Amino acid sequence: MNGKAAVPAAVDSTSIPAEKKYPYYIERPVTHNRVERFLEAFAAILKYSDYKPLLDSYCTSSAKCNRCAVACPIFLATGNPRDIPCYRTNLLLETYKRYFTIVGWLKSRLTGGFELTEEIIDDMLDGFYRCTACRRCTRECPMGVDHGLITHLGRYILSLIGIVPKALQVSVREQLEGETHNTSKIPRAALLNTLEFLSEEMEENLGVKMEFPVDRPDRDFVFFCAVSDYLLEPDTLMGNAAVLYASGDWDRWTIGTGNYDGINYGLFYSDWHLERIIKQLVGEVTRLNGRRILIGECGHASRSAHDFVPVFAGGETYPVINFMEYTLDCIRKGKITLDPDIIDKRVTYHDPCNIARSGWIVDQPREIIRTFVKDFVDMKPSGRDNFCCGGGGGLVSVDEIHDFRMSIAGKIKAEQLRQTGAEICIAPCANCKKQLKELVEYYEIPCRVMGLHDLILKAIHIPGGKSPRARKEEAALFETNT
Amino acid sequence: MEQWIDFAKGPLFALTFMVMVLGLLRLVVIQIYSILTGKGRRLQNAPWRKIFSEAASWVIPVRHLIPGTKIFSTVSYLFHVGILVVPLFLADHIALWEDFLKIDLPELNYGLADLLTLFTIVCIFILFGFRIFSPRLRSMSRLSDYALLFAILLPFVSGYAAHNPRYNPFPWDVMTLVHLLSAELLFVIIPFTKLAHIVLFFFDRISGLHWQLRPGSGDKVAEALYGKEARV
Repeated sequence: MNGKAAVPAAVDSTSIPAEKKYPYYIERPVTHNRVERFLEAFAAILKYSDYKPLLDSYCTSSAKCNRCAVACPIFLATGNPRDIPCYRTNLLLETYKRYFTIVGWLKSRLTGGFELTEEIIDDMLDGFYRCTACRRCTRECPMGVDHGLITHLGRYILSLIGIVPKALQVSVREQLEGETHNTSKIPRAALLNTLEFLSEEMEENLGVKMEFPVDRPDRDFVFFCAVSDYLLEPDTLMGNAAVLYASGDWDRWTIGTGNYDGINYGLFYSDWHLERIIKQLVGEVTRLNGRRILIGECGHASRSAHDFVPVFAGGETYPVINFMEYTLDCIRKGKITLDPDIIDKRVTYHDPCNIARSGWIVDQPREIIRTFVKDFVDMKPSGRDNFCCGGGGGLVSVDEIHDFRMSIAGKIKAEQLRQTGAEICIAPCANCKKQLKELVEYYEIPCRVMGLHDLILKAIHIPGGKSPRARKEEAALFETNT
Repeated sequence: MEQWIDFAKGPLFALTFMVMVLGLLRLVVIQIYSILTGKGRRLQNAPWRKIFSEAASWVIPVRHLIPGTKIFSTVSYLFHVGILVVPLFLADHIALWEDFLKIDLPELNYGLADLLTLFTIVCIFILFGFRIFSPRLRSMSRLSDYALLFAILLPFVSGYAAHNPRYNPFPWDVMTLVHLLSAELLFVIIPFTKLAHIVLFFFDRISGLHWQLRPGSGDKVAEALYGKEARV
């Protein structure tokens, strides 16, 4: 085996038969021996990982009751039986049962039955990337079958034979093997420039000078956000910084320039990458001798750090805190105050699946919002039972499936959003934010999507700085003039 | 016929019951062994409280009555109550439990037991109806899903008929034998079919533990497939 490339050799895309065209771009489309290679990869995973008891249990007891169907936003939008979570999961379970259990082998000898074919591989590579891995179905499955975990495993096997959306693979490669070690390929110099720019912006807007702490050792918090926030979501970052400044914790945090990306696409498709990215993140905290990991507004970055640092970090484990937990703690302790008269619009909140489904971050943001927003309205359902934005599981990064994300995956979320009548939708997650911004445009919903800390930035009292009211007046004046 | 009934009530009952118990025990032991050896210290990281509270939420699953599945879920829940309560607490069965397991369970009033049996039979027919007439459910149903419903229906119908001569077109002893044999058939198939969720229910629910992935496994998998130079 040694010496093989990680992905099969490139083939001329014109030589790919029509039926092997993929629903998303793949770096080097796989055209040959997919069944054999799929089974080989599956066998290797079963040998070195511990998915077996789970698969054994699911294979025996899956009831096929279809409750998962009505929990799935994709099925609810299409009504296509192929979008039923149990159908998709069953593709992998049948494969496991047939090729890796004695009963399945015996059954195949006696009655024929299930055979893995090229068509089933096509079904899986499509189905597993139609799933947003939101795990809403898991919550409604009486057996507790975790279709999100099966999607993860299915994608993992496919990735090992080279079937993975190019957008995800290229990002992960840059993060793990590139020079910048981040998914957006932002060099250190560009990060420093951005921080300088943000610093100037904050001085102008808030009236106080705050220089972002970079590579400071021995700090309480080492901060990671979705690296794309440095380019696309400056208000979220300035909101984060404003909280840290106003709370008096400015000297307790730092951004590391060795690794400043909280994104972990491994969570969506590969145990291998998931672990390596976690180790990279932990390595940066260790380098800086930090004590805690502070994750910005990003659902999957929070979940992957929170759930997998204890698993993969070895001896070096660090508590992981989502920024909203930190902000709420500051409010409760009276370290920061938010002006309740600044936000006069109706606001709603979108629960990112990766932090809400488990019940980890559900009440905290609502408690924060209620301290300074007078007209808050929840979506129905919300919290742990929320509907996915439609861009989960890494789909939001796959531009070529934009139509699917809009017309199918995000359809229910758009309807929910419209029904609230809210003018502002808070989405404390880089992925959800991008998807929701595209959704409101696609469905022409008069609603602005932003992070929670974008809103906090408007209402926070900054010691020694301009008051929220003065800032609001300035902003209104600026808008009138422009 | 009486000898056949005695055989079915005696050695055959004991044998089939043992098959069920040992079969289920085998599943539990395999699961626990695989988890203990596979997960090791990572067991501590699992969100046990959430796992237990999620499992407990299905005991009275009012929260899970979501649109689109309310009738099916309610019927399915009542069906489960019926198939648990009637076999365990029916007066005639109590004697069997006493004989074989030496446990003394409270008796269910005959009238109530009859009512519950009828109720369960109705639930089974409704579940059949769902599988047949709901395109969504039909698309996912396998032959075994229908067969198992029938296998559960048989001891209930035969038991009810044996107990109520007015509704029994066959001789009592024939119906009693059918009842015993069908129940024993159920015992035998439980550990080998989806009915094993009697015990696997809990093991299905511990995906929070299964997300505690094995450290180093990704490297080993990549190396096994593509060698030490494997790249993203």
